[in-house]
Amino acid sequence: MTAGQKHERSVPDLVAGATLPALTKTVTQENINRYAEASGDHNPIHVDEDYARRTPLGGTIAHGMLVLAYASQAMAAAFGRDWLVSGRLDIRFRTPARPGDSLTVTGTVRGVDRADDGDDVTCDLLCSNQAGETVLSGLAEVKVRH
Amino acid sequence: MTVRRPLVFSQLEAGFEFPKTSYRVDASATTAYLAAVDEPDSLYREDGLVPPMAIVARAMAALSAAITFPDGTIHVSQSVQFLGLLSTEDTLIGRARVDRVQRRGRLHLVSIELSADRDDGQPVLRARTDFILPQDGETE
Repeated sequence: MTAGQKHERSVPDLVAGATLPALTKTVTQENINRYAEASGDHNPIHVDEDYARRTPLGGTIAHGMLVLAYASQAMAAAFGRDWLVSGRLDIRFRTPARPGDSLTVTGTVRGVDRADDGDDVTCDLLCSNQAGETVLSGLAEVKVRH
Repeated sequence: MTVRRPLVFSQLEAGFEFPKTSYRVDASATTAYLAAVDEPDSLYREDGLVPPMAIVARAMAALSAAITFPDGTIHVSQSVQFLGLLSTEDTLIGRARVDRVQRRGRLHLVSIELSADRDDGQPVLRARTDFILPQDGETE
């Protein structure tokens, strides 16, 4: 398999300030339960509503890695296979995501370094909930092959 | 059969290496993962590729099975770097190492480095995960 065989991407102008297509997801307990099954992370704070209600969080929360998967999905939608072979994420979790939350991942190109073998693109990433609270934030980098 | 009990976090020291693991993220697991994260399979299906975040999830699951974290543990930050494509036919070798253990007041900060390589040696993933744990919250 050759890295970068396909170059689907949906950001037409790779320049600082360009915005990536936004991705919106609604978190449900069903999604969280499915993620627990798929990932093997059955921590009760995610899947046991009775347990979670008795904690300071007051209810279940989504796995941080589920929210991070949405961020990665936004980058994959924007940069296609280049993201799969050269993507890099560096984020901080800010606020838990809860069932019923509507999360929107947005990205803005911070900079582009041109090179012979491709463009090194750095993006600011943000995932916010319906109240405008930041759920995660950080940087994403990808090499876009020519 | 020997049953390995999970470590408690207070046993962790910088430099500690977890036992190496070997696993596959096959087509069925990939389908389940994509359904869980509500992601279209168009980028993956044709060539039988594994979403890289599915590998991260699997690596984190192996870590969770190896350590008992106390109530109140917070996953504060995460970095991941994708280094190569992975097919649903490939076998991965996963490694994890404690990079840093710090005390800050009543809290511990634990940083763990994760890696996944194909069994032919090709690097696939590097990751780093940071947890904050309550000092008095040990569960065992």
